Amino acid sequence: MTDLAQNTLDGLFLGSSYALLALGFTLIFGVLRRVNLSFGPAVMFGCYAATWVHLNFGAGLVLLAMVAVLGSILAGAYVERLCFAPHRGGSAIAAMVASFALWMQFEELATIALPRHVYDFPALHGGAPLAFGALTLRVESLVMLLAAVLVCALLWWILYRTRFGVAVRAVIDQPQAAQLAGISVPRIFMLTFALASAIGGLAGFLIASSHEQVTPMLGMWSTMKGLLAMMLGGLGSLPGAVLGGLALGLLEAHSQWFFGPQTRDLIAYALLFILLAARVPWMTTRSAS
Amino acid sequence: MDDYAIGVLTNVGLISFLALSAYLLLIAGEMSFGQQAFFGVGAYAGGMLTAMYGWPLPLAALCAMALGALAQFLVGLPTLRLRGLYFAMATLAAAEMARILFELFHFQRQLEGEPVGPDGTQGFRGIRWVFEHGVEPLGYLGIVYALLALALVAFLLVERSRLGATLRGVGEDPELAASLGVDVNRVKLGVAAAAGALAALGGVLYAHHNTYIEPRNFDIMLGVHSLAYALIGGLGTALGPLVGVVLDIGALEGSRVFHGYRMIVFGGLVALLLIWRPRGLLDERAVQWLRRRFS
Amino acid sequence: MSLLRVRDVVTAYGKIEALKGVSLEVAQGSITCLLGPNGAGKTTLMMSIAGILKPRKGAILFGGEDIAGRAPHSIVAKGVALVPENRLVFPSMTVLENLNAGAYQRGDRNAIADDVERMFARFPRLKERAAQQAGTLSGGEQQMLAVARALMSRPKLLLMDEPSLGLAPLVVEEIFRIVTELHKDGTSIFLVEQNAHMALKVAQHFYLMEQGKVSFSGTPGALAEDEVIRRAYLGSSKT
Repeated sequence: MTDLAQNTLDGLFLGSSYALLALGFTLIFGVLRRVNLSFGPAVMFGCYAATWVHLNFGAGLVLLAMVAVLGSILAGAYVERLCFAPHRGGSAIAAMVASFALWMQFEELATIALPRHVYDFPALHGGAPLAFGALTLRVESLVMLLAAVLVCALLWWILYRTRFGVAVRAVIDQPQAAQLAGISVPRIFMLTFALASAIGGLAGFLIASSHEQVTPMLGMWSTMKGLLAMMLGGLGSLPGAVLGGLALGLLEAHSQWFFGPQTRDLIAYALLFILLAARVPWMTTRSAS
Repeated sequence: MDDYAIGVLTNVGLISFLALSAYLLLIAGEMSFGQQAFFGVGAYAGGMLTAMYGWPLPLAALCAMALGALAQFLVGLPTLRLRGLYFAMATLAAAEMARILFELFHFQRQLEGEPVGPDGTQGFRGIRWVFEHGVEPLGYLGIVYALLALALVAFLLVERSRLGATLRGVGEDPELAASLGVDVNRVKLGVAAAAGALAALGGVLYAHHNTYIEPRNFDIMLGVHSLAYALIGGLGTALGPLVGVVLDIGALEGSRVFHGYRMIVFGGLVALLLIWRPRGLLDERAVQWLRRRFS
Repeated sequence: MSLLRVRDVVTAYGKIEALKGVSLEVAQGSITCLLGPNGAGKTTLMMSIAGILKPRKGAILFGGEDIAGRAPHSIVAKGVALVPENRLVFPSMTVLENLNAGAYQRGDRNAIADDVERMFARFPRLKERAAQQAGTLSGGEQQMLAVARALMSRPKLLLMDEPSLGLAPLVVEEIFRIVTELHKDGTSIFLVEQNAHMALKVAQHFYLMEQGKVSFSGTPGALAEDEVIRRAYLGSSKT
């Protein structure tokens, strides 16, 4: 019974990181109607930038977080200008393949700049995990969950209480009407990208300091998890991204307990496949071309 | 020709099967992130048949192709009705499942005191049929390209035929095709089976060239790469994907010029190229222009 | 004085020219109407003026300035607002949010709030549904919302693309009553319509468009009404 509770707790924490990644993906997809395969790599770029700063200057955690966020925003801007702005009215496949090409660039850049396979990353909290009765709570996990909650709240506030948010929701809802209402769609694309990248950068920082290491695999891993969570929650839905992320986390935590790490991933992919094949309505209503 | 060049050329040929398989689906209007799974199916099936059961390579290859076709058909059955990105994600999920299954797959036979066969993440070594039958690297290169040439001829014949027009029609405007009486789903399933067979053929040849395969070989990177080759080479002709493969593996890797930062150069080139030519170098317009010039 | 002058505009979709050199004028303070059969290019013209489509040739002069090919949001900034065919409201946003979106480019919060009240006064049904999602409104209500949203940018020129499409006769009358009111309040209106009868009742000037070109220009009395209606639905008899 405590195992169940512990796994559920761990699943929620894990799911918070997935939720953040999925939010980034979904913002971009909802507004641009395109999948950005360089999202994970941009997150990785931010983490690597922070790692580089850490190695060369030994900076504090807050500064490192800022570097990670800024690095991701920078990387995201590069991707947006090269892969998405030029194909705005055109081919979605071309944009996606271009984003994949930049993914390759980011990965190689990371291995050139920091050639070792693994690098240490400072921990959020050096101390021991907290105990609540029979359950253990890592402080990092708690921070992750809190960060996810805060980001969601911030995002909600941005979308529903600011002028920028109205524009973003308008572009998501009806892009042509948004243009007619005087909203500059290219500008909204750019700003949304920056916002999504910032969220990704924060997620990356938290993930890296939670695992206390960075590897070049972070790019692919973030992309896979973000995509999976986004699809599970219903493509293009922001609340769905959060729920999808949490669901994925819970699924993984419990599957890992019963079946081990490989089967855990197998189950996640199998679930996605089955849901898609069954054309479950919440997943397949958003236009995706 | 030195061994390195032979190796590079053979690689180009092998990956071309994969790129052609992605291209075929793209023409029919479907974007697949998962062709690497069928490449892997071909590799494992073919390898098992020759290394564990002593089948001759040609027979094993045919069997592997049939398996690849069946596998892609089965994956396609529930998913081909999905639109664009949903289908792509389904293929991604299926391919990752396949890769994990390869990781979990342990099936070995004792042959002459040694265990032979797939051993999960440890891979599958000893696929030595080609060496045991005295085929030289140059000879194998010839075989690969002979088969590739056959595939290309088949493609070029189909493209000029009514079937080819139907395929492109289905890819561009399925509703229009359906209203003209085309059974879109059957066409797509047929294309899927053909693509699966093609990828599997590449896989068999790949396994026997490398003599060792492991699940990591068939990851998402391979799949997205082959999709990229198909797209940058151009969707106007089956030669397009080959152009893509040659550009990356042939020119950039083979020339060893950009050693260490090949992907940075290639990635940048691809992104820029796609701005200029969203449907690839040899896109439909270019192909038409070339045809007019040389006819 | 002409507020809007379209001069030899050519707009194409790939190789197909939808507008083959269109020229017309909208006088300041007038209601000008554009009639014509389906496929004549009326919506293409509206989209070209609003900046959604970029003309290949020609000029679109608004207040003397050529706005052809500019980005839609900068055209809105100049004072042109389009109420598109099919209304195109923001379905998942509330009526109030739709209105505020229309005022996106404006910074004067209090004046925007005043305008919202004015819209509610003019379109009472929108007030009733202020907190409702726009996608759940009826066709007529969505049309009102689309008009109100366009008005929120305080345009000098209001473009309307087939506002009566798919609406019941009573609702259509209401729409045209609003058009007349807006005109009285000083907004210039360029109106595309299939409902030639109603359009001719309110317009000071009208154009007929067929197959990408303007085929007739005149005041509502200039052609017999049944002739106009015939040409608006079927095109001219010459092939």
